[in-house]
Amino acid sequence: MSVARTADKFLVISLRDLRTAARYRTGFAISAAGTSIELAAFYYLSRAIGPGFRPEGVGYFPFLLVGTGLYTFMVMAMRAFVHCVQEAQQAGTMEVLMSSSTSAPVVVMLSAASALLGHSVQLTLYVGAGLLLFGVPVPAANWPGGLVVFGLSLLIAIALGMVAAALQIAIQKGSAVLWIIGSGAWFLTGTLFPVEALPKPLQFVAACIPLTHSLNAMRMALLQGASLGSLAPEIRALAFFALALLPLGLAVFSFCLRRARLQGTLAFY
Amino acid sequence: MDTIRLESVSKIFRHRPALFGWLGHEKRGQTRALDKISLQVPGGSVLALLGPNGSGKTTLLRLISTVLLPDAGRVLIGDEDTRTAGTAIRQRVAFAITAERSFFPRLSARENLDFFAALDNVPRRRRAERIPALLEETGLSDHADTLVIKFSSGMYQRLGIARALVKQPSVILLDEPTRSLDPASAEDFWKLVQKSRDRGATIVVATHNFEEASALGDSLAVLQKGRLADYRDLNRTTNRELRSWYFDVTRELDAVPMAVGGWQ
Repeated sequence: MSVARTADKFLVISLRDLRTAARYRTGFAISAAGTSIELAAFYYLSRAIGPGFRPEGVGYFPFLLVGTGLYTFMVMAMRAFVHCVQEAQQAGTMEVLMSSSTSAPVVVMLSAASALLGHSVQLTLYVGAGLLLFGVPVPAANWPGGLVVFGLSLLIAIALGMVAAALQIAIQKGSAVLWIIGSGAWFLTGTLFPVEALPKPLQFVAACIPLTHSLNAMRMALLQGASLGSLAPEIRALAFFALALLPLGLAVFSFCLRRARLQGTLAFY
Repeated sequence: MDTIRLESVSKIFRHRPALFGWLGHEKRGQTRALDKISLQVPGGSVLALLGPNGSGKTTLLRLISTVLLPDAGRVLIGDEDTRTAGTAIRQRVAFAITAERSFFPRLSARENLDFFAALDNVPRRRRAERIPALLEETGLSDHADTLVIKFSSGMYQRLGIARALVKQPSVILLDEPTRSLDPASAEDFWKLVQKSRDRGATIVVATHNFEEASALGDSLAVLQKGRLADYRDLNRTTNRELRSWYFDVTRELDAVPMAVGGWQ
């Protein structure tokens, strides 16, 4: 498949999403208001806790800001995959999409990529607004390092998203699986508080979750300005997860799709 | 021109009831939707499928389109098997799904066609030519920029047909294509199908309308309870023979429950 053709498909998918979003006019305003309220809540929470609490040597508000920003992005990224399958099932477009000339994993990936584009803008605004509006000092952020961590985290989110989308096709309850993953990650990965606060066995579980490494590395890069050398162990862990999970995600998706074609449950929801 | 071949194709749908039976009654077991169907549609010809509701017509179309895969037997498009060459087959096969819920409701007719045509690998420049022409041919050009959420069932039907034809497929599958169309639109539609056949497309159309089937088809197959009840090559049959054959077949089919159940 040529790059130009893929770009053309991505463009029509993004246009579809943009047009649909624009035609549900109140949706955008509600989502923007939600993000602002969340930011303000975290700011006042960190003020209530006081300046004495400095997890990993940084203020609690920037700790929360990067943690919740990246956590939300990762969950939204995974949800984007489930959502595009779920929406197609519920809207009735699933069979048409799956009988088009574009292979099913590509349709799902491009649809999720379009949603991710929106989420990336949202994440940038969220973290940017937090840093600027609440005057969080970013002394010497390692932006290239942050970008590497972001890229690897994105690949992991894509892989997990493919698994969740596959489960949506297989059991029509991919969002329930996502909810379990999301809740577990929220608690275990150091989104709200450092992983070191957990008991030892749970710290081990946390180390097995890719998001723990994403959050840790992102905080190190953005808030402590850690060099690529210092980030290397976390980057290695993230690269390992990405390499292991991507083929697995694709294989699980292809298997579930074929099974649904055999059982006649492709459009079930 | 692609020949369609079904070799002893069977399709079974299994019913999986809820975890707790006391919550409600659901059908158990399985439904044999198609049972060892063997059929060949020569390239560039039209096969009309007739049969009562639930006889397996739509299942057969869905198997050819690769939306479903057979449990036994093979479905071949040209020389390619739907079980192993799905993506390659989907490049050439179009299933005209005309259900209202198969479009993006907040996109216009033109935007919907553009979206699906892009996924069907139709280049941008060709889309710009084909889409207005198809909207014109299906009588939708006045509604090209109307959101499809405002469409009537007949308009959805026409849009679904335009969507199937936009990539100029070599195999076209139509499921009761004139169901919601008024007579004039139905006639226009058949002209469109005729044009595709003249271009060399192989067409399978499921319908309840014997008149339409016999007027347009090169061959006619009657399905009953997932089995091929009868098949006729229309080029070797006179109209009168055909009519009497069809009514004999359907009379026999109608008689089946009486013969089986013995009710009077």
